[in-house]
Amino acid sequence: MNYFSFYKDGKALYCLFFAGILLSFSSSMAGNSKRHFTFSYQQHQVQGTVSDGTAPLPGVTIAVKGRGNNAVITDYNGQYSINVSPNDTLLVSFLGFKTKLVPVKGNTKVDIKLEYDTTTLQEVRVNAGYYSVKESERTGSISRITSKDIETQPVTNVLAAMQGRMAGVSIIQTTGVPGGGFDIKIRGQNSLRAEGNAPLYVIDGVPYSSDTVGHGQTATLFPTLTSPLNGINPDQVESIEVLKDADATSIYGSRGANGVVLITTKKGKSGKTTFTVNATTGAGSVTKFIKLMDTSQYLAMRRQAYANDGVTTYPASAYDVNGKWDQNRYTDWQKELLGGTSVFTDLQGTVSGGSQNTNFLLSGNYHTETTVYPGDFLYKKGGSQFSLNHRSENQKFKIQFSTGYTIQDNDQPSSDLTIIAQTLAPNAPALYKSDESLNWEGSTWQNPLANLPAKFESKSYDFLANTVLTYEITEKLLIKSSFGYSDLRHTETRISPSTIYDPKLNYNSSYSTLFLNNTSRNSWIVEPQLAWNSNLSAGKLELLLGATFQNQLTDQLVQSGTGFPSNSLIYNLSSSTTVRAVADTETLYKYQAFFGRANYNYKERYILNLTARRDGSSRFGPGNQFAFFGAAGAAWLFSKENFAKGLHWLSFGKLRASYGTTGSDQIGDYKFLDTYSVSGVLYNGNVGLQPTSLYNPNFAWETNRKLEAAIETGFLQDKLFLTAAWYRNRSSNQLVGIPMASTTGFQSLQSNLDAEVENSGLEFTLRTVNLNKGAFQWISNLNISFSKNKLLSFPGLQGSTYSQRYRINKPLNIVLLYDYKGIDPLTGIYQFNDLNNDGKITAAGDKQIICDLNPEYFGGLQNQLSYKGVKLDFLFQFASQKNYNYPVGPAGQMYNQPEKLNDSWQNTGDTASYQIFTAGYNAAAVTAGSRFSESTASVSDASFIRLKNISLSYDLPLTGFKTQCRLFAQGQNLLTFTKYKDGDPEFISTGFLPPLKIMTFGIQLTF
Amino acid sequence: MKKIVTNLFTRDSRISMNKLVLSLAFLIISCDSFLDIDLPENQLTKESVFEDNQTADAALTSIYSKMRDTGILTGSGVGISFQLGCYGDELTWFGNPLSTTENFYTNNLLPSTSSVNDYWKAAYSNIYAANAVLEGSRSSVSLSTANKQKLEGEALFIRALLHFYLVNLYGDIPYVTTTEYKINTVVSKLPVKEIYQLIQTDLQLAAVNLNTAELSSTRVRPSKFTVRALLSRVYLYSGLWAEAADSASAVLNESGTFSLENIDSAFLKESKETIWQLQPSASGKNTDEAVAFIFASGPPRTVCLNNILVNSFSSDDLRKKHWMGSVSSGASKWYFAYKYKKNSTTASSVEYSIVMRLAEQYLIRAEARAKQGDIIGAREDLNKIRNRAGLTSTDISTKEELLQAVAEERRHELFTEYAHRFFDLKRSGDINTILSAQKPGWNTTDILFPLPQTELELNPNLLPQNEGY
Repeated sequence: MNYFSFYKDGKALYCLFFAGILLSFSSSMAGNSKRHFTFSYQQHQVQGTVSDGTAPLPGVTIAVKGRGNNAVITDYNGQYSINVSPNDTLLVSFLGFKTKLVPVKGNTKVDIKLEYDTTTLQEVRVNAGYYSVKESERTGSISRITSKDIETQPVTNVLAAMQGRMAGVSIIQTTGVPGGGFDIKIRGQNSLRAEGNAPLYVIDGVPYSSDTVGHGQTATLFPTLTSPLNGINPDQVESIEVLKDADATSIYGSRGANGVVLITTKKGKSGKTTFTVNATTGAGSVTKFIKLMDTSQYLAMRRQAYANDGVTTYPASAYDVNGKWDQNRYTDWQKELLGGTSVFTDLQGTVSGGSQNTNFLLSGNYHTETTVYPGDFLYKKGGSQFSLNHRSENQKFKIQFSTGYTIQDNDQPSSDLTIIAQTLAPNAPALYKSDESLNWEGSTWQNPLANLPAKFESKSYDFLANTVLTYEITEKLLIKSSFGYSDLRHTETRISPSTIYDPKLNYNSSYSTLFLNNTSRNSWIVEPQLAWNSNLSAGKLELLLGATFQNQLTDQLVQSGTGFPSNSLIYNLSSSTTVRAVADTETLYKYQAFFGRANYNYKERYILNLTARRDGSSRFGPGNQFAFFGAAGAAWLFSKENFAKGLHWLSFGKLRASYGTTGSDQIGDYKFLDTYSVSGVLYNGNVGLQPTSLYNPNFAWETNRKLEAAIETGFLQDKLFLTAAWYRNRSSNQLVGIPMASTTGFQSLQSNLDAEVENSGLEFTLRTVNLNKGAFQWISNLNISFSKNKLLSFPGLQGSTYSQRYRINKPLNIVLLYDYKGIDPLTGIYQFNDLNNDGKITAAGDKQIICDLNPEYFGGLQNQLSYKGVKLDFLFQFASQKNYNYPVGPAGQMYNQPEKLNDSWQNTGDTASYQIFTAGYNAAAVTAGSRFSESTASVSDASFIRLKNISLSYDLPLTGFKTQCRLFAQGQNLLTFTKYKDGDPEFISTGFLPPLKIMTFGIQLTF
Repeated sequence: MKKIVTNLFTRDSRISMNKLVLSLAFLIISCDSFLDIDLPENQLTKESVFEDNQTADAALTSIYSKMRDTGILTGSGVGISFQLGCYGDELTWFGNPLSTTENFYTNNLLPSTSSVNDYWKAAYSNIYAANAVLEGSRSSVSLSTANKQKLEGEALFIRALLHFYLVNLYGDIPYVTTTEYKINTVVSKLPVKEIYQLIQTDLQLAAVNLNTAELSSTRVRPSKFTVRALLSRVYLYSGLWAEAADSASAVLNESGTFSLENIDSAFLKESKETIWQLQPSASGKNTDEAVAFIFASGPPRTVCLNNILVNSFSSDDLRKKHWMGSVSSGASKWYFAYKYKKNSTTASSVEYSIVMRLAEQYLIRAEARAKQGDIIGAREDLNKIRNRAGLTSTDISTKEELLQAVAEERRHELFTEYAHRFFDLKRSGDINTILSAQKPGWNTTDILFPLPQTELELNPNLLPQNEGY
């Protein structure tokens, strides 16, 4: 290695940078080939309108056949003009329509009518990351949505926009609070580590780390730490491609195991400069509340509970029943605390245009969203995006530049009010006194509104830029490099001012605290590539070689301040009497890879695609840093075979299969070192040092082997298009934090586990053109995924710390439950089956009933109807699954319960659904109540069908105007059909605000 | 590299593919060092920590700050002073019914109750850290012998102290003496008796190690006297009366260093009664105990002193007047523990959390002497505590009465301090009679905590679960 010392310390990298820069400015490169001059005599201008028969079509490309550099685009009235020779032929093409050749024949006015062509969907080029591929010729499994699908949805997170629209992609919203996160799993759970299942996100070629930027001390509002993904603006997205199988993901090597989400932002189009302005406003509210007891039911439960426990004098602290609180007062706390309306406003503006060789797009947007909580909370998001593409005159040199900047400003309460709204006694006191001050009811309760000034605020500044330079060295050889840079700065504060306490406590601002989290992450990536293609016998060979160098630095500083001279100085850390650095970490992640692709396409019938990647990651210890991943994919377009020629009903047929390996390095950084880290806590004037983790230097790459076979068929000119895919992913040598008994001092050990997990499944997508008559069109898209997750093998499971979590041949997402057998009619207490017949109910022996919480199937049905200027688009999302019920615990204590608990055991011989009430003193009932929530009775069918999205738009018929105007109404989560009784069925963990149902209205102007 | 650059920029557009492929291959081999990263700036390697006295000391003192802030010994509402006060007969609970303290107050702990798990986890995490200090110090070549002895002595003390509380809360537990996870993750429980022997062994070795170390002026680090004081308690709990009395004497005889303060100074940070105290996290901060117990208006938001306890004090007991506070509202009056008086920050800290103090040693020796029939000696020790509290000397002369009086004195002297009362009730055997009279949720099996459910699932060697859970 010493021979190559020149390359140490990243010098090689600087050279690459230098190379890229030189390449981009080198005039010699731009001028080293012959310029083309075309002489044509008797040029004249031809004009006309392009329409679909009823309405003009803007954006249609009109070129002159044989002269590639002479092309124009129709304006918003479908009109064009172009210089031609009398004998030229116009080549008219537009996505979604059949390409048409129109001879000029000396005319000066040529109107053109295009016909819809559903088969052209097969001609769309799909982004596969390092390369793009024609839809019909792709060998991998790639799902795709475009801005057309995203625009119909009033959502602020790109993952929300994908929900229900992609086969094999399961997305669950974890909280309805703005700025919250989503849980995504592409083709099931691969890793035993819950946090090791995130896909790789790539925006315009730049990997976008989804690692959390929040901190537990500040982001107390959300079920998970703050995700940076909210910084991606759905309005700016042109398309999202999800890569699923080995053929598509192996080129992403160690980062492809959980799938890859490719996000492409909008780009400008050549032609007239157009302006688009969009304004939307709307409202959202909670989808569904739990039916809780009213005051009389609640108090009856409480009194019965004390009677059951033999307590005759109510404790002094039982204000609800001991007479301190009004026995007749009733408040629906869910309505009071979560029943507000969240108001949405959204403004967007876009300018785009360009000349033949240069185009640009500039857009800006501003979004605000209030919450359903009482009080003034606001989520604001604003951003702008710029894209510039340029080609040199000779078409050899290309530069694509795109950049985006997003600012988020979130102002929320520091804790979710959902739990308090669900549990507060219905006869709890009024929130306000008659003088509108907060009511503390003689210090007998913690007024829930008092906590609202304890705020969580976050600000994120997210910058992303990417440049791709391409140069065509010869017709066959292309050299290309992308340079990406991202910079994310995120600040979170949480305050706890002394004013949240009962004024009787006499707490002053010396009790106030501030928590402050500053996280910044910046990364750069350079990916030089070389692409070569050539015709080889009757086929076409494409080769790609490339390298990746990535460097990502994350800095986090978390501080706390306690005691302020005044609460108005609470955001000023320097004015606090005690400042503490809770955490100060700097994490450097370096990543380097070489990748390649070879694709051979024989007669557009037989396609072989080979991809490979050699990855190195700084997350592994010396000797384990490198790994090799590769895949092979093949496709056979049998509809092009002679035997299929006679089958007129068969318009398209393709069989494809792939096999390969991917990996995952989502294990956190520096885990291979045996270290002490700074605790940040002082003792005796000395900052503490604490052991960081259990030491294991030997962990290495896990591998994920993916196998897929699929058939894609189109019938009746693709009016019916069916894709069926079968996949089987097996991951082994898993990198996990093996749970450790606390007697080891820690909860887990980073290690490779000799276990094998299999995810298999079937995915179907069906696209049907139900009606396409004149101006009326109706298209349906159905996707449905059946997935199975299985632990194939786990040597030594019995003796391991996983013995009470997993079972061989069962999914990872199982829960072990007690076997509930009903209520003892004599004692009124829940009974469970003593499975091991040892006379006792123990977790080790009896909590053994396996319940699978993976969805059996899930998917979505989308319908698009259009008639002239009216478009209706709606999506039903569905899932067949089980989930936990709302946890009732041992009912009878001082918190409210679902109304169904009225059916509780009262007297000997009763048959009831729920056990005897207890105020907490009946040990047997408390223990049984706790087991009940871990029993077969705690899980129920949480399947649902939901009208996820509906959108209606109308283009005003402004013929003769230069302006287009569209009015639209959009709805999200408007209807939900479910048997699940305890509120909204979409959640990961209980106690958080469910997703909102949203209705918005808007107007779009284009001129 | 230069060659590649020239290759890339050659005007000859017919670059040979071979050259490029070769160049790329060349790059592949040469760029591995790109992945080299430095140690993060907030971490040190384990070896380097124990090469320097300052960092080795930081590895040890970090354990004290952890004990102060989390787990069994924290003075906040999640430590045993508070939670076991509610579990036993010292405190009455008014707080949030969804809080884990509700389970303590109603004596309905579950194997899944968070505090049951947290005490266990925090204690073994600190035991790991103590073992890491022991191992790091023993293998260090740079630390001086004196430093090594001090580190190892304190680490052994921490290990013994935490196992002492664990065994009293959970009964049979594992005694962990290594950092090796392969051993610790499958470790088995030992009977209480063996645990006590191991505690004694560790403390005796700690006493040897700390023999020459000086007592720090702030008493925020355990000294040889702290070790002796804990030993005397351990002997007392084991019924080794002579040893208990001897160990207590070893502390009590240091009258130049330790002496009973007057009633108002006993809990100040300069108190000469203090054997070992935990220093707050920052200058100006005071104790978590004061924040947890003191309230300014009624009814209480979390806890107040149990009326039966309050009423058991005689009216002239200075401790009732000086160590308890009260607030009234209408006809109701509530008392709170007021040993620590500063529940907010002060210019500089006034009070630290005192873990071991001299009064306990007097009471230990009084009990041990009474058990051995030394009535005069026992009475003398007992009266030291009574007199300081403004009470007259007692002249009771039978062993049984004396033991009864010592128990009552312990209840009054040590209330809301690290669950002394609960452990004393367990030792006396009266626990079921006393607690079932007051607490409707009390069951005889409640004298032990359940073992945490998750731990039983992770390590089946910890089975069986304690009776009653």
